[in-house]
This record gives sequence, C-alpha cells and structure tokens, in this order.
Amino acid sequence: MSRKRAIILHTALIFSFVMVFLRLTDLMIFSHERLSERAKQQHIKIEDIQVRRGVILDRRGRELALNLELDSLYCDPASLSLDNEDVRKLASAVEKEPKAILSKIPNDGRFAWIERKLEPSAAERVKGLDIKGLGFLTEAKRYYPRGELASHVVGFVGIDNQALEGIELQYDTYLKTTGGKVFLGRDASGRTFSSGVDIEAKGNNIVLTVDEVLQRIVEKELDRAMQEWRAAAATAIMMDPFTGEILALANKPAYDLNKAGRAGDSERRNRAITDCYEPGSTFKIVIGAGALEEKITRPNTLFDVSKGGINAGGKTIRDVHKYGVLTFQEVIQKSSNVGSIMVGMRLGKERIYKYAKLLGIGDKTGIDLPGEVSGWIFPTERWSGTSIGAIPIGQEVAVTPLQILRAYSVIANGGFLVRPHVVSRIVAPDGRVLVSSGENEGRRVISAKTAGAFRDILKTVVEDGGTGQNASINGNEVAGKTGTAQMINPVTKRYSREKYVSSFVGFVPADNPRFSIIVVVYEPKGQIYGGVVAAPVFRNIADQALSYMDVPREDTPQRNPLLVRR
Amino acid sequence: MIRKSRCNILVFLVKPFLVMVIIAGIFGLVYLRSGFLQLEYSLSDLEKKKIQCLRERKMLLAERTSLLSFAKLEGSRQAGDGFILPDRIQVIHMSKQKGVQPYRTSLERKYLAEP
Repeated sequence: MSRKRAIILHTALIFSFVMVFLRLTDLMIFSHERLSERAKQQHIKIEDIQVRRGVILDRRGRELALNLELDSLYCDPASLSLDNEDVRKLASAVEKEPKAILSKIPNDGRFAWIERKLEPSAAERVKGLDIKGLGFLTEAKRYYPRGELASHVVGFVGIDNQALEGIELQYDTYLKTTGGKVFLGRDASGRTFSSGVDIEAKGNNIVLTVDEVLQRIVEKELDRAMQEWRAAAATAIMMDPFTGEILALANKPAYDLNKAGRAGDSERRNRAITDCYEPGSTFKIVIGAGALEEKITRPNTLFDVSKGGINAGGKTIRDVHKYGVLTFQEVIQKSSNVGSIMVGMRLGKERIYKYAKLLGIGDKTGIDLPGEVSGWIFPTERWSGTSIGAIPIGQEVAVTPLQILRAYSVIANGGFLVRPHVVSRIVAPDGRVLVSSGENEGRRVISAKTAGAFRDILKTVVEDGGTGQNASINGNEVAGKTGTAQMINPVTKRYSREKYVSSFVGFVPADNPRFSIIVVVYEPKGQIYGGVVAAPVFRNIADQALSYMDVPREDTPQRNPLLVRR
Repeated sequence: MIRKSRCNILVFLVKPFLVMVIIAGIFGLVYLRSGFLQLEYSLSDLEKKKIQCLRERKMLLAERTSLLSFAKLEGSRQAGDGFILPDRIQVIHMSKQKGVQPYRTSLERKYLAEP
C-alpha cells in the first residue's frame, strides 16, 4: 500500500514538474516576445523629446520670437463625467462658452483636446476644479514679445507650430528641429525615474538685420501718416545701401503676431515686396542714370519745356506747373514730366529698358522673405506708341517699393546693385554660426561718376525749388526723389482721379549714406503729392534714425573741437 | 576521534557563517538597490523641479523682454521718466585714448579717428 502511494506521489510530483517545465518553456520561449513587450510597457514610459523652435533676434540680440511652455487641456471621454455645474465651472475657468466646451468632448474615444496652450492662470483654475477625466500636456507656444512690431518680417506659426509667414516660413528648416523619443523607467505606481538626458531639442537661432528701435521709429511714423492722411495703407523700408541689410521694414495696417489668426488679408499683406504700384516720378532714376551714363545729357544740358506739354504717340502729357527752359538737373529737381520724356526720347526705348533692368526693375530682388513678386516692365517689342511718353515718368511699369529702394541705393553706394536681405546669421544652439550673410557683393551697374552726378542732382530735389523740400533734415544733406502716381481703377481699367500713390525715396547723409529709405502712402486723402505726403514721413524717420545711430551733424563747427582734460 | 571532532566543530561554525554571509549579501544587495532607486526618485523629482523652474524662467524672460521693448520705454518717456533719443546738436563725441592725456572731443566723429 505504501509502495503504491509512493508511486502515485512520485508520478504526481513528476507530472507537476513536467507541467511547470512546460509552462516555463511556454513563458520563456514561445511567449517570450509578447510578454517582454508587455513588461516593457509596464516598466518603461516613452516620452517625446520636447521640440523648441529657434529664437528670432534683432541685430542687437533683442528677442522678436521666443518659446513659452504652456499647459494644454485634454479629456478622456471614457472616464469623464461632467454634470452641468462642472461644465459651467470649466467653461468659466477657460473663459469659453459652455457650448464650446461640450462641442469638443466626443462621445467615445480616449483622447480629445479641450483647449490648447492655456494661459498659466487659466490652467491653475482648471487644476483647482479637480475634475476626473481631464488632464494636461505641456506644449510649446510661440510668443512674440513685441506684438505688432516687424510683423511682416518675423511672420508667425500655427497652433501646431507649423510655419505660416515671414522668416518663420522662409527659414523653417533652420528654426524647427526633430525631437525623437526618450525612455523613462517607472515603478508600479507610475512614478518615473530620472531620464538622465536633456529632454528638450532646440532649433537654430536666427539673427536679423532689422533693428528694433529703427523698426519702431518707422512704424510709429507710418501710423502717424496713416492717421494724418487717412490713407488706405502705407509702407516704409530702411536699408543699408552698401550691404543690402534691411534695417526696418514696415507695412500698415499691420497685425499683432500673437493674434495672427484674427488678422485680415489686408493686415497680413507685406506690401513692401508683394504689392506692385506704378512708381511715378521716382522711376525717373532710370532715364536720369541712363542718360548720364550714356553721356546723352549732362546736369546742365538745357531742355525747353515751356510748352507745358509733349506729344507721345498721339497722347499729350503735361507738367503740373509750367516751366521755361530747364537744365537736366532742374528737370529732375522739379520733376518735370515733359523734360523727362524729352530725355527718355533721346535715350531711346532700348536703352530705357536696358537701364531699367540694370537697376533691377522687373526682377525679384532676391530678398529672403516669402511671396516676393517681380513687378514688370514690358520688353520694347511690346511697347505701344504711347509707352515712350509713359515709361520715363513711371507709368506702364509696376514695381515693388523694395525694387525702387534698391535702385536708389545704387546711386547711394556708388553704382552697385545689392541684394536686400533680412537675415544676418543663423546660429546653432551650441553657438556655431551656420550661415552668415557676410559681405554682400554688389554688381556694378553704373559708373561711380554717374552715381555721383545723379546723387548731386538728387540733393537739389530736397533743396529750395525742389519737390522734396519737406524731406530736408537739420544738420545733414539728403538726396531723394518724390513720386506721385495715379492708381488704376480696377472697374474702369483707367487711371483713377481720386486714388493716388504718394512716395518719397532717398538716402542720408547724401555724401556718405548710412541708410536709404522709401516711404509709400497708398490713397492719401486731402493731399496727393509725394513731396507733401511722404517726404515729411521720410524726414521724421531719418531725423530720429540719425540720432539713434549716432550720426554726427554736418553743420556743426569743425575747426575748434572742444578739448577736455580729465 | 579528536581530529573528527575538530572537523565537525569547524563545519558547525563555517556553515552558519556562510549562510549568514549569503543572507547578509542578499540584504546588502536589496539595500543597495533600494538606495539606488531612492536616488533615482530624488533625481527624477529634481529634474521635474528643474523643468518647472526652466518653464517659469522662460515666462519671466518673455515678460522682461516685453517690458524692455522700445515701445514700452517710449511710453515711459511720455510719462516723463523714460527713454529719449539724443538731440544731435548737443552730442559731443569723445575719442577713446589710452594713457594719461587730454581727451579729444569733437562735434564730429570723423575728427576723432585714431591716428
């Protein structure tokens, strides 16, 4: 009996061990992968490495775009139970309507956003409600501390930090970065262990050529002009004529970058590079520079404009005022249309076209901002009979404000066509300089002699008897040109009698320019002339900018500088 | 007989000693592991604090940047105690010179170029 029992016991033991062995074999060999995966899921938490876009700085290192970390509120609909009171409290905490909250909570699923990137105070209020089924995730939010300033240059990003406009879009590949994953150990209660690595990946920083103070000066004066002339829009650009660095670029109306979603199309348009207009008299630089370069005229060559009109292809074009005999210098100084057309006719359409192209008309400037248009000037074979009368005075051509500014910068810098740019350098998070605009090599398009001669003519525009006297600055000589052009009525396709574009473009100090500026005011009311509407804006901007940039006056006593002993 | 007895005593002493060593070793390992985990928890808490501090720092930096904007400084100017651009007629440029010698000053910077 005892032997029988022993056999049964041994058999049972052996069977049990065999079962254990088989089970272990199953667990350790056949189900190994599945179980180890499950164990990993229980012990390891995978988190995304937080991605932060690079910072955008002005030329002096002042932040124009940076990142904040804010809480985004989500819900787990499966475990969420909200009564009416909870919904009301939640809506009040996030400052939304209860309906808007309810519309964001689906009936099924395990995840839905309720409100993204909450203000810290709102997040605290929601946390205080302690509602089950709600949770927070930290997300990066792009923040523009200067608000509206340089909005058309900096641009903005969407809710998922996708680039939409401006530098944010143009240099997105440098600003954004990829994050990857980080594996964190965790215990049974869900507490995570140290990751031991930096869980934030940063993009490259961009340093602009724009200066915050100059930008502010330009925007303030544009606002003032918009108000004074009840204009539809206005644009101003300030550029270093030697390097092509854009020091300020502003359009009005503008928009707050932190509320870009609410801005309309008109506010978001970067008119400085995306809108074309007929330049009017500022285009006379083409025939002026061309005629001097080709030695067709000299500054003192006489033109009889006493008739007050000139026939071009059957169309008579008149001057605003009647003049007698003018020198070429006076033709530009007084902005005589008749005189300019005479010069244009002497130059001939082929050479007008040639110099327009040399000065960058009809071509993109290559500025590193999205959406630039090329404008247009027809090739000579497409010119009509009246074109030789229209083009020398800036009609039948379309330009952007930046193109005209670049053309005048050729005169300012002694004959070189430069490429305007807004990015000075791109710097990696570790401080390495990845891209640097460096020396911007210009292409010589006219001789230094021609540039100098035309510069002297432009100086007279701002002196007594010139159309741009309102642009003159106390203490420094200004060189520039006024422009007044009729706008095309989109309905009648004819020149409007009410809508004008007034402009002034120039540089200062005239003989050693520190910057060139263009001011364009669209549809001013009350006055239309560039010399009345845009020139004072130029003066106000330039005066403050010279002060800020520490440019000395030229009219101060020089012979006996004050000596001071310590 | 005596030799066998000595051998038994040795075995009698060594065995419990070895058992104790093993048990102490196991406890030691558990203790070390527990200390290690505790350290991991502390590090994790500190990392969370660091992240929180960095987050607050970013907020403060943004606020500071916003407060130091030129537009704000100009706003203070209107209140009478802020930033003003210099009146150029009152600006005198001084050259940077080493050593004890008179400062050269001028109303025009170009006259102060280093020799």
